[in-house]
Amino acid sequence: MKKLARFADGTGSSPLLVLGLSFLVGCGAAIPPPELVAARQAYADAEKGPAKELAPAQLDTAHQALEEAEASFESDPESEETRVLAYVAERRALSSAAVGATEKARKRRAHLDEEYTEIERKRATMTKEELAATRARLAQESDRVRAGQEAIAQRDAALAQKEVELEKEKKARAEAEGKLTAAIASLAEMGSIKEEARGMVITLNGAVLFATGKYELLPIAKSKLDEVADALKGQGFKKIVIEGHTDSRGVARDNDKLSLQRAEAVKAHLVARGLDASLIEAVGLGSTRPVATNDTPEGRANNRRVELIVTPQK
Amino acid sequence: MRMSFERLVSWGAFSMVVACGGAAVPNKELATAQASVRAAEVGGADKSPQAQLRLKQARDKIAEAEKLIAEGENESAARALRCAESDAELALALSREHEAKEEAEEALKKIQRLMEDSKS
Repeated sequence: MKKLARFADGTGSSPLLVLGLSFLVGCGAAIPPPELVAARQAYADAEKGPAKELAPAQLDTAHQALEEAEASFESDPESEETRVLAYVAERRALSSAAVGATEKARKRRAHLDEEYTEIERKRATMTKEELAATRARLAQESDRVRAGQEAIAQRDAALAQKEVELEKEKKARAEAEGKLTAAIASLAEMGSIKEEARGMVITLNGAVLFATGKYELLPIAKSKLDEVADALKGQGFKKIVIEGHTDSRGVARDNDKLSLQRAEAVKAHLVARGLDASLIEAVGLGSTRPVATNDTPEGRANNRRVELIVTPQK
Repeated sequence: MRMSFERLVSWGAFSMVVACGGAAVPNKELATAQASVRAAEVGGADKSPQAQLRLKQARDKIAEAEKLIAEGENESAARALRCAESDAELALALSREHEAKEEAEEALKKIQRLMEDSKS
């Protein structure tokens, strides 16, 4: 048909040829209308696009419409029907291309949605892991804090305990000291108490302790010594030296012996009252250490004495 | 061949009918075309310029067809209505394509936002 048309185009204007041309045109060997040209192009484009795979039904409909238009063009090229069919065919082709593009976009969207869900899931998992890690860290932290608090509480309890003990000890000491002071106060009538370099020196008047020339303790002395012994027990001590002293009258050997016997008697009584014998030493010093003159009865009375030298516990 | 008077008359009447457009008023085609236009409108054809153009063509063709019907040109009107229907269908297809592409674009943006959120 195209060949004939070209032939017709290239001819001169002889009456015969004009007749022949009109005959050919009359037979349908015509130039296709623009609608059909557009329809062919649109269909070719649609076939190249995603419609072939994603909208085959629509593409087929477009194909049928184009065939119909072609058939109409074949039989009646210049008819209005051909132009309409071609017009419709072009729209069908464009529509099928649009449906193909729509499906393609929807697929892409579905894929993106899946990707989104996947990313979100991963993110959630990550966040969960992070949360777990943070929780574990916090738990460790609070364990440490709790352990620290417990240690502090223990230390506080220990300190409080120690304080209570100290208080008790202090009280006990104060009590003991009080007792000793009281004992010493009651001893005042029969002796004195002094702090000296060699220790605490308790001096007991011999006249109160013993009868003349005897070394048995008088009953009053016993009860006084009991108080002294109790006070010393409460206080605690390292060592006690008990010294017996006499005045210078009489034979020195007898004096030495008597002074020792008297010191021993005091020791025996203190031990009987509960003091440790191994910590107590009794010595007889006779008249060798007078504290007053032996020329007057008062001086001699002062020289007749027993001294307890207490080395305190420290 | 001689034609009877009756036959002549009936032939003449037939020719007259053909000359006047011959066919009946294309009510069915009109209804179909109008329905297609409404479908395209509901389908969001006004959101895409391409679809808008096709929708306008469909409406123009319907208007043309109505004019032709008024003139008694029913056959031409039917043709115009077939064209209008195909235009409206194309408008709908294009608006769906536009919508699907926009949704895909939105899905992509959503992912990008998520990625940015993850970074911060």
